Amino acid sequence: MPDPTVLAFDTSAAHCAAALLKAGRVAAALVEPMQKGQAERLLPMLEELLAEGNASWSDLTSIGVGIGPGNFTGTRIAVSAARGLALGLGIPAVGVSAFEATAFGRARPISVAVPAPRDHIYVQSFDASGETEPRLCPRADVGIADAMSLCLEPRDLVIAIAQVAARNHKSAAERPAPLYVRPADAAPPREAPPAILP
Amino acid sequence: MTAPLTILGLESSCDDTAAAVVRHAEGAAPGILSNVVWGQTDLHAAFGGVVPEIAARAHTEKLDYCIEQALAEAHLSLRDIDAIAVTAGPGLIGGVLAGVMCAKGLAAATGKPLIGVNHLAGHALTPRLTDGLSFPYLMLLVSGGHCQFLTVHAPDRFTRLGGTIDDSPGEAFDKIAKLLGLPQPGGPAVEVQAKSGDSGRFALPRPLLDRPGCDLSFSGLKTAVLRTRDDLVSEKGGMTKQDRADLCASFQTAVADVLAEKSRRALASLSAEPLTAFAVAGGVAANQTIRYALRDVADEANIRFIAPPLELCTDNAAMIAWAGIERFRLGLTDDLTLAARPRWPLDEASAPMLGHGKRGAKA
Repeated sequence: MPDPTVLAFDTSAAHCAAALLKAGRVAAALVEPMQKGQAERLLPMLEELLAEGNASWSDLTSIGVGIGPGNFTGTRIAVSAARGLALGLGIPAVGVSAFEATAFGRARPISVAVPAPRDHIYVQSFDASGETEPRLCPRADVGIADAMSLCLEPRDLVIAIAQVAARNHKSAAERPAPLYVRPADAAPPREAPPAILP
Repeated sequence: MTAPLTILGLESSCDDTAAAVVRHAEGAAPGILSNVVWGQTDLHAAFGGVVPEIAARAHTEKLDYCIEQALAEAHLSLRDIDAIAVTAGPGLIGGVLAGVMCAKGLAAATGKPLIGVNHLAGHALTPRLTDGLSFPYLMLLVSGGHCQFLTVHAPDRFTRLGGTIDDSPGEAFDKIAKLLGLPQPGGPAVEVQAKSGDSGRFALPRPLLDRPGCDLSFSGLKTAVLRTRDDLVSEKGGMTKQDRADLCASFQTAVADVLAEKSRRALASLSAEPLTAFAVAGGVAANQTIRYALRDVADEANIRFIAPPLELCTDNAAMIAWAGIERFRLGLTDDLTLAARPRWPLDEASAPMLGHGKRGAKA
């Protein structure tokens, strides 16, 4: 069994971040801040990262992908690419949330906060027995100062995603899917249709 | 004879997740080896129309499974595929992105060429897939998002003769269905009602017929249907099933009249060109009344009429794979920086008709 070679990436916020893990060590990592353009930049950046880490696509044993929570479009960009790569390479893709990545390797209990729009945060708590459902709450409602760990910076985040994926890839039964936490913004039509008379 | 080309096509620009494999050897008829379309009607039913965020979520989590099914039905593996073609726009951007990113992942992983296809080119080139039609031909593209007349000169060369200045007929069908309490998608629902209706009962406008040229408008027609409905409701507190059927029939006939008359003008304006056919594509071309009206126009003009089978008129990935084959033969491939475009007019030389500003022209 060759040592696992894991490529991980994340575009869940205003960045393109990627890391290559070879036998548990970070062989290369790249982070580019960007408000938009992740869809155009991601794959070329991954190829640059592989070149820097002296690896090729066929060396990979699994893919790790950040599933958010975060920007809906951003998480879909990374997840869709990961699923295409996994299908094309015949290797597993493992979805890793920003919560799991941040909690990775740290003492529990721990609560992790991820920034959300409009002065809200996404929160998930982990303890010895498991984890709570991720939830969205107003930033002011939660004392994040002491009890909470803030989500990692992009470089540390994507390295942690790679590490979690390396550990979990054999047990990953499900394909990665974005962790939205919030339902899609959609309302039934306001206007009732006319009464149909006999 | 050259080796056959086998291309995988992906489509996710609206509410259908689709993958298909098409094979073609020059000089032979193309073969659709598989054509998988997974609709999302149920997901959007409660909202009275396609919700972009819901569509994007579904495409992201279904497209790879859809590809696996298309390959399985074609009895092929990715190794047997020569290139990957994907709708890169125009459409609902969340869905287009899901398709483009999945295609890039596949292309990077397999080393196969990537081909970004304009969804409208997919529709416009379908008569070449189904009937081996030669260039140039007149195409009426009529769907939920689009309505335009195009002269198709080459796989990458289209001239727009005219188009809608506001809504598309497909949008109008959906809106009418909503106004009358019928299910979505509105096209089939209105068509079923119209079968038992009197198309002469309500006098509805035929917008822009009084003006020369091939431009169309459907917004005023929609409003006229709304007013007629409101008159009926205020008169008797609701509408009878017959009222509804009559209104559907009157509306459908108005749309068919407008499309037929503008098609007549488009053909007349091209009488000097050696057109091979008048072809129609897009979801609205599935409507039988409209299809027959357009066929009659072609017969009058003594030109061949081509309407692809219904499953190739509505959104599908076989048309994307076919457009991919056409582009690949011209050496037109894309690299991994391929962008997803919400707007992407087929004829970028003509003056924009719809849309402006940061997002650019829609048509």
